[in-house]
Amino acid sequence: MQTASAPQLGLDFCGLSFATPLVLLSGCVGFGEEYTRVQGFSHREVGAVCLKGTTLAPRLGNAPHRLCETPGGLLNAIGLQNPGVDAVIRDILPRLDFSETRFIANVSGSTVEEYAEVTRRFDDSPVDAIEINISCPNVKAGGVAFGNDVRMSAQVVAACRRATKKPLITKLSPNQTDIAANARACLEAGSDAFSVINTLMGMAIDIERRVPVLGNNQGGLSGPAIKPIALLKVHQVYQVCKAHGVPIIGQGGITSSEDALEFLIAGASALGIGTALFYDPLICGKINRGIADYLRRHGLDRIDPLIGSLRLHGEFTGDSCDQ
Amino acid sequence: MRPNSHRGTIFLEEGEILQRTAYEGEQYLLRLRAPACAKAARPGQFIHLRCQEALPLRRPLSILRAQADWIELLFRAVGRGTRALARQPVGARLSLLGPIGQPFQLPSSEKPVLLIGGGIGIPPLVFAAQILHRRNHGRVFAAFGSEIPFPFAPKPAEFLVSGLPPDVIAAMPLLEDWGIPNRLASQQGYPGCFSGYVTDLARRWLQSLEPTAAAQTEILACGPQPMLAAAADLARAFGCACQVSLEAFMACGVGGCAGCAVDVHTAQGLARKRVCVDGPVFDAHQIF
Repeated sequence: MQTASAPQLGLDFCGLSFATPLVLLSGCVGFGEEYTRVQGFSHREVGAVCLKGTTLAPRLGNAPHRLCETPGGLLNAIGLQNPGVDAVIRDILPRLDFSETRFIANVSGSTVEEYAEVTRRFDDSPVDAIEINISCPNVKAGGVAFGNDVRMSAQVVAACRRATKKPLITKLSPNQTDIAANARACLEAGSDAFSVINTLMGMAIDIERRVPVLGNNQGGLSGPAIKPIALLKVHQVYQVCKAHGVPIIGQGGITSSEDALEFLIAGASALGIGTALFYDPLICGKINRGIADYLRRHGLDRIDPLIGSLRLHGEFTGDSCDQ
Repeated sequence: MRPNSHRGTIFLEEGEILQRTAYEGEQYLLRLRAPACAKAARPGQFIHLRCQEALPLRRPLSILRAQADWIELLFRAVGRGTRALARQPVGARLSLLGPIGQPFQLPSSEKPVLLIGGGIGIPPLVFAAQILHRRNHGRVFAAFGSEIPFPFAPKPAEFLVSGLPPDVIAAMPLLEDWGIPNRLASQQGYPGCFSGYVTDLARRWLQSLEPTAAAQTEILACGPQPMLAAAADLARAFGCACQVSLEAFMACGVGGCAGCAVDVHTAQGLARKRVCVDGPVFDAHQIF
């Protein structure tokens, strides 16, 4: 029964109205329309959809195999296959239904200038926001090579900041020593929000042939296996962000409403869904319902009071691995 | 192109295992109740199936037959997923997505059709044969090859096929029932089988046609990569069209992740296309 006190899942994210805290992650849903093939799937169940990583020129991506299932996870090395920013704007964006959800471009490049140029072109397009991918583990130049270096990360963000007035979300890599320091630098460089985390670098080996399973030798690990790491990273970045009101899209292995709630409590305002979609394409409705049930059970009418509501045992030790 | 023309074409169902049959060589036939998928399925399409709860990523399996409210799968237990699937009992419910992908384009009745299936590539061609039978297509020949015992009891063919050695008489009963001439090939010396590659059996049939008829033939093929390459060569030699159904590791199965991309040679140069939704059926001449 619908009552006046039904919890509201919607939120304001960098001035954008999200219908729910769920965000479909870049690289998992192509350029936005792919999952609508599935009967019952609706973009209205998510706050936003992050489009596939886009570069200035078209990219073929990596040679097969590009995938390998691992315990509790998935290794991938797609390699940013995309038709280039101009084709995305010309051919793909006009087909998207912006009345259903928010669409976020995901920008990648091999140089600071390329990031800025792709961002500039998306600035003059209908996308609602721009996510900077400085954490793709599957390309040789750019990607995580920027994301591992605090100074370079900040340079990329600053260059993109100059190229757009749209909300700018920086996708941070877990493959670095001090994610909080990186977040701080990116925040100062003008990032409006963060995506935490991208995949962790990993490998799988074919023991009969003694070769890596993936054509790219290494790949990025996603799925439930990385959830504890992602939760900690979200909380570390939240320590940096909370004073500035900068929101985080928490992501990494969320497959249930319980997982989603953990991320909210750790400090995420929105929740990225990726690998879980491969398990269950209709998972978003279930997660939304689970969050709503939790809110009801806890007498809450919206998710805001949950965000960062974690009560630590004593003082948070930050990013030290020795504790 | 209308923006959302593909929307809602793939169904998520809990497929109950209605029948399970095990064959030699770790081959299994499963019949699953999946009404929405069964109604929409076309030859060459596949389902993306969760083989067991502990392996949450789905596995793509081509559809052998679709009828009433069920679909059938024929697979070989070769990896973690298919081995787990092979252990599922009758009554188990498995999450499946389907039907997925571009089906075979079945030619009109004027054109001869040559079906070439190798091993676990046989199922989609049986489905194609069934539909061609329903359409009363009178010019179909099927060549199936396997290096492990066929997952059915071959029977002596009723239909005469010219161009073949007289002792090549083993045929698939199901296709015989549908009135579709077919023969089996193997290098294992199975009785009545053509001794050699399935594509060599197919070549004999093409050679028996008038050159103009051979050139009009549409080859549909599914099987191991070397067999598909040989089918493409065969098509090139006889000047005929050839469609091949490919296999790849997949994650999403609906076009979202691009994990199943394959090299495709287009007029614009090399492209990488997704086996799941751009395929699994491709023009052989763009692949090989």
